[in-house]
Amino acid sequence: MQLFRTFTILSTGLTYLLIFIGGMVRVAGAGMGCPDWPRCFGRWIPPTRLDQLPEHIDPAKFNIVLAWIEYSNRLFGAIVGLSIAITLYLGLKHCSHLPRIKWALITAFLLTLFEGWLGSVLVDTVLNPLTITLHLFFALIIVMLLLFTSQEAYYLINPNAESKSHYPSEMKWLFGMMAFTLLVEVVLGTEIRGGLEMIRKENPMIESQFLIDMLGPFKYAHSILGFLITILSIFIWHGLVKRSMNPSSLMVQTSTSIVLLILLQIVLGEILVFFEVIPLIQLFHLWIASWILGLVSVQYVAWQRSRVGYE
Amino acid sequence: MWHGKDQEWVMNRAGYYVLLIIIVFGLGANWVIEKANNSHGIPIIKPVPQFSFFNQRGEPFTNENLKFKVTILDFMFTSCTGPCPLMTLNMSNLYNDFDDVNEVQFISITVDPVVDTQEQLREYAELIGVDDDRWQFLWSDMDAIKDLKKDGFMLFADDLPQGHAIKFVLIDHKGNIRKYFDGTDEASQKVLRNDIANLVKESRS
Repeated sequence: MQLFRTFTILSTGLTYLLIFIGGMVRVAGAGMGCPDWPRCFGRWIPPTRLDQLPEHIDPAKFNIVLAWIEYSNRLFGAIVGLSIAITLYLGLKHCSHLPRIKWALITAFLLTLFEGWLGSVLVDTVLNPLTITLHLFFALIIVMLLLFTSQEAYYLINPNAESKSHYPSEMKWLFGMMAFTLLVEVVLGTEIRGGLEMIRKENPMIESQFLIDMLGPFKYAHSILGFLITILSIFIWHGLVKRSMNPSSLMVQTSTSIVLLILLQIVLGEILVFFEVIPLIQLFHLWIASWILGLVSVQYVAWQRSRVGYE
Repeated sequence: MWHGKDQEWVMNRAGYYVLLIIIVFGLGANWVIEKANNSHGIPIIKPVPQFSFFNQRGEPFTNENLKFKVTILDFMFTSCTGPCPLMTLNMSNLYNDFDDVNEVQFISITVDPVVDTQEQLREYAELIGVDDDRWQFLWSDMDAIKDLKKDGFMLFADDLPQGHAIKFVLIDHKGNIRKYFDGTDEASQKVLRNDIANLVKESRS
C-alpha cells in the first residue's frame, strides 16, 4: 500500500517533468531531431557520427544535438509509461474495490499509450500544429488523473483529512469554470506559439517585439481569458480561505499559490509580449500553467472530499 | 492536512526545495536550448578569391563588397530560358522576404557579358522589380567570369553561357563560401532561408 502511494506520487512528478522536457523539445526546435519513430535514424541509440546514418535518410537532416534532445523526450516518456504501468498494477492489486482509483489509473495508462502513438503521428506529419496541441492537452489530462490518484491514495490512509473543514457549496461551479478556462487558455497559448512560428518562417529575421504584433485576435483572446482566470482565482481564494470554516492548510496554501502563480504568469506573459520571445520564458510559462491546472484539480478533489462522507 | 508549527516548518523547507529544483531545471533547460541554437553551425568551405567586376550601373564591385554582408550569389544570363527564370523567381522571393534585413545582399553574375551589357543588366533589374542595392547584377570580361566561377567557386564553366550552374552560393559576412544550394528546388530554398537567418545572427554576435 505504501509502495502504491509512493508510485502515485512518483508517476505524477515524472509526468510533470516530462511535460517540461516536451516543452523544451518544442522551444529548442528539436521536434524533428529524429526523422523516424520509434527509433532515431534507424537506431535504438541515436547516431553520433554521419557514417552511422542509414542510406535512405538524407544526411542533411542529421543534427546530433537535436536528435539527442528529441530522443531524451522519448526515452523519458518510456520511463514515465513504465512508472504509470507499475502504478496501475499496484493500484489494481490494492484498490480494485475502489472504482474511482481503478478507472482513473486505467484511463491514465491508456492515454499514455495514446500519447506515445501521437508522438509517432507528430513525426509522420512533420509536427502538425493541431497534433502538437493534442499531445499537450492529453498530457495535462494524464497529469490531473495521476494527481487525483495520489490524492485519493493519501485519503485512504488519512481518512479524516478534510472532515473538519466546511467550504461553500457553490464552489463546484467556480472549479469547473476555472479548469475549463485554464484548458482553453493553454490551447490558445499553443496556437499563439504556433502562429509565431509561422510568421517567423515567412519573415526569417523579424525582431520578436514586432512578431507578437502580427498575431492579431489570438493575443487579445489570450489576454482577456487571462484576466478572467485572475478574477476566478481570487473568487476561489475568497471562497476557500475567507468564507470557509476551518479550511485545511492544503486549501489555504494551494489557494494562495494559485493566485501568486497566476500573477507570475501575467509577468512572464507580458515579458514575452513587450520585450522578447525568450524560449526559456515560453517554456516556464507553459509549465507553470500545468501546475496551476494541477492545483485547481487538487482543490476540487479536496472540496468534494469535505462534502461527501467516505466509506 | 498539516498541523502545527512543525508542519509549517516542513512546508517552508519544501518550498525552498521546490525553488531549488526550479532553478536547476531552468539552468538545465537554458543550457539545452543554447546548445540547440548553436547546433545549426555551417562549416566554412573556403574564402571567395579576389575579383573586381562592375555592377549594372558601372560601379566597381569587388570581393571587398562581400564583407559585412551575408551574400546569396548565382551565375545567370538575362536571355536564358532554361532554369534561369525559376532561379530568378526564387532569388526574387528571398530578396522580397529579407527586405527588412540590411545585412543580406544578392549578387547575380552574368555568364554572357557580350549580350548582357551594363545597359541590359540595368533593364533586367528594373524588369524584375529590383529597386535598391540589395540585389546587384555584375559583369566583367568572359575570362575573368570563367576564372571566378571555375576556380573561385568550383563550379563548372566550360560551355558558357548555356552550361552555367544552377547553384545559389551562400557567403558569410567575412567573405567565406559556406554552402551551395540548388537554385531551382523548393526544399533547398527552405533550408537556405534558415541558413541565411543563422548567418545573419552569426554576423551580429
